[in-house]
Amino acid sequence: MTKASRWGWVVALVALTGAALVLFFLLSNATGNRASYEAHYVWLFWVNVVVALLLVLVILVAVVRLQLRVRGGKFGSRLLLRLVGVFAFVGVVPGVLIYTVSYQFVSRSIESWFDVKVEGALDAGLNLGRDTIDVQVRELGAKTLLAAERMGEAGAQTQPLVLERLREQLSARDIAIVGAGGQILLAAGSSSGSLTPDRPAPNLLRQARDSRVASQLEGLDDEGGASLARVRALALIPNSNFTLGEQDHFLLVTQMLPPSLAANALAVQAAYREYQQRALAREGLRRMYIGTLTLSLILAVFGALLLAVGLGNQLAQPLLMLAEGVRQVAQGDLTPKPVFASRDELGGLTRSFADMTEQLSDARALVQRSVAQLEGARANLQTILDNLSAGVIVFDRHSGIDTVNPGATRILRLPLSAYRGRRLDEVPGLQEFARAMTARFESQASSREPGERDQWQDAFELQTAPEREKLTLLVRGAAMPQGARLLVFDDITEVVSAQRSAAWSEVARRLAHEIKNPLTPIQLSAERIAQRLAPKLEGEDRAMLQRSVDTIVNQVDAMKQLVNEFRDYARLPAAQLMPLDLNALVGEVLALYAGAQESGHLRAECEPALPPIVGDATQLRQVIHNLVQNALDAVSEQVDGQVRVRTETARSDRGELRAVRLLVIDNGPGFSDRVLKRAFEPYVTSKAKGTGLGLAVVKKIADEHGARVRIANLGTDDADGLRSAGATRGAQVSLSFSNFPLTERHVALAAAAAVRVH
Amino acid sequence: MARAQGVELATFDVVRNEEGVLLSFSANFELSRGVEDALIRGVPLYFEAEVSLLQSRWYWRDRRIAHATRSWRLTYQPLTRMYRIGTGGLYQNFDTLAEALDSLRRNSRWKIAEPGQVEDDGRYYVEFSFHLDTTLLPRPMQIGIGGEAAWSLSVQRTQRLN
Repeated sequence: MTKASRWGWVVALVALTGAALVLFFLLSNATGNRASYEAHYVWLFWVNVVVALLLVLVILVAVVRLQLRVRGGKFGSRLLLRLVGVFAFVGVVPGVLIYTVSYQFVSRSIESWFDVKVEGALDAGLNLGRDTIDVQVRELGAKTLLAAERMGEAGAQTQPLVLERLREQLSARDIAIVGAGGQILLAAGSSSGSLTPDRPAPNLLRQARDSRVASQLEGLDDEGGASLARVRALALIPNSNFTLGEQDHFLLVTQMLPPSLAANALAVQAAYREYQQRALAREGLRRMYIGTLTLSLILAVFGALLLAVGLGNQLAQPLLMLAEGVRQVAQGDLTPKPVFASRDELGGLTRSFADMTEQLSDARALVQRSVAQLEGARANLQTILDNLSAGVIVFDRHSGIDTVNPGATRILRLPLSAYRGRRLDEVPGLQEFARAMTARFESQASSREPGERDQWQDAFELQTAPEREKLTLLVRGAAMPQGARLLVFDDITEVVSAQRSAAWSEVARRLAHEIKNPLTPIQLSAERIAQRLAPKLEGEDRAMLQRSVDTIVNQVDAMKQLVNEFRDYARLPAAQLMPLDLNALVGEVLALYAGAQESGHLRAECEPALPPIVGDATQLRQVIHNLVQNALDAVSEQVDGQVRVRTETARSDRGELRAVRLLVIDNGPGFSDRVLKRAFEPYVTSKAKGTGLGLAVVKKIADEHGARVRIANLGTDDADGLRSAGATRGAQVSLSFSNFPLTERHVALAAAAAVRVH
Repeated sequence: MARAQGVELATFDVVRNEEGVLLSFSANFELSRGVEDALIRGVPLYFEAEVSLLQSRWYWRDRRIAHATRSWRLTYQPLTRMYRIGTGGLYQNFDTLAEALDSLRRNSRWKIAEPGQVEDDGRYYVEFSFHLDTTLLPRPMQIGIGGEAAWSLSVQRTQRLN
């Protein structure tokens, strides 16, 4: 409900209730004042009926709306329904109670007005008055008749004096003798003003003529009041002497009714009438009061209902707002919540709730930020771990594998990550390693000195499978919190190999020096023996001497060559680095193998326009020579053996020159695994005869040129060196040169830099 | 054209002569027991005769030329056992109800319009009604009797003036 419509409701409510109350007031006020009440009752009644109908309509609309909202499951309608129910109950029940009591009260009190005794008393009073008056009338009649008869008996001419005496005797107001037609013949009396009294009424005259005497009450009317009430009696005067002619004469006596009697009689009559009217209108009166009461009830009850709806709405509004907010929060919507603008506790509640929501929102944002940071740090760590060349394995407290980085898999060449959650000794080929590690960790834990760092370092020789070469691992272990263990290892096989070749180089140098010195004297001595003794010996002896000396000389030459090779290896002269064309160098060397080339065993595949490289021509010539010779040796026993010498350039993605590569490829049996790993160490060879120094020299020269040497078997995966079945056979040695002579542009740049410095 | 509830118009004459327009009527009706009872108990009864003289006009609504009412107040005085009729400022007492009713049943030569008010060539008609006026009864009684047939005494008549 919008604010405007709510206000509309409230205003309509107030207006309707106000109107109802005013009408109610008028109605009940009018009941107090009978006259105005009776005058206005009917229209007031109908106006109230109209208001009541309006109220009923409004309430019906409200109830139907509420019902629809409840049926539609609109949020909060049940609360509203309950509130309205409670308010309506509170409003209606006392109203109905009061109504019931008032109904009884009104009915009883109206009935109690009409008492049989009161009615009887009024009747009796009326009868009393009537009888009293009747007695007066009859008495006067009798007296008048008596006077008339006496007058007739007297027979004398009636004198005014006689009449006056008679009047006083009868204590009448006036007295007259009336003719047959009712005309006044003679009168005496105290009538004020007029000398003659009124003529008698015709019916009185007629009655008197018929029955000699008649009397009646006159002037006792509501309009006239008590003062005019009088009793008149008319009696026939017996005509004995006919002195006054043929006509009958009547005696008319008028006597005033005592004013107090008349007033009392009239009062009784008025009361009697009033009472009778009320008694007649009893039903109407009852209906009127009950109707008023019922109408008040309806107005009050409906007003209460309307107020209930309004107040319920008012009260429910903040609660609904709150509940709606709670529901939104429960659904995760932490947007700012509206505040109910009131200063009571409910308003405070909504305000507190809004504050709470805001804090919650802030807290959640904070948590999300922290989680994001954590996630970032974790991802960072994971990236580092993934790209670490060293192998890392983390064990949990039960020695299960918790974390393995790709480095570990690469070094051990075992799918370690598949064994996550299992123990290390369950991995095939690692049982011994696992045992050793465990022992090492335990010994470290048991013999730990105070202050010592909880880590160790060791080198292990590991052979994961019989067909694989031995790995030399440098293993570091460290205990981590909560019983976890960290294992970091590096493949130092190549380092060990390099150390070995350095050692060999030293040995070779010394040996060459020590051995070469005595060789020349030995050769010279043997030749001198042959020179001196040969002429002195004859026949067989001479031949034997010659053979022995030849043998010595040949062996010494062989030894010299061996020693020279050693020397070459150990004491290669420092390279003279000059720009040179690799293709020209290859052509030069291959010219020596014209025979092999002609027989098709050797082929050169040179990339034209190869950029010049920096190198020592003599040494590189030897490298090419060694490699080609090795390759030819490898394929020497094959009829279809072929060696290819290829030069090419390697470029980066952007086309920049990265390296110039020299490849020597053969289709021979390839290197054995053992040789592959240590091919560059001296005395490692796959040939039946050979010093095993060829590749060692190549490696040494390459190192001096800053070039990278890689040897590989063709048709194998570079990562683990395992040969896959049915692939092409052969071996490949590649040399990548990445030192290039400064181009003119480089020179220019360098010169510019120099100028700038100065 | 007449509508009637408990009242019958025995005679109804509208005469136009040099005195003006004169109305004579006699209404026959009897009071029901309930009404008579109320009368005996002291409730005054009011009778009202109302007459309008109208001129028919085809081009406009009819014009009212004259309007006259006459009302009677019939009461019973339990003290003197007399029925009393008051009309205008005049009062008359009757010993019996029949006499009293007779006096208000018959009306003759009721002048409802002056001679000059009526033209010879106009078309006129008279609207007449005679009824027992319950709106002057005490209010609670009105509510009590509300719409009872016994209390509905009325007659209406419309007659052309010729």
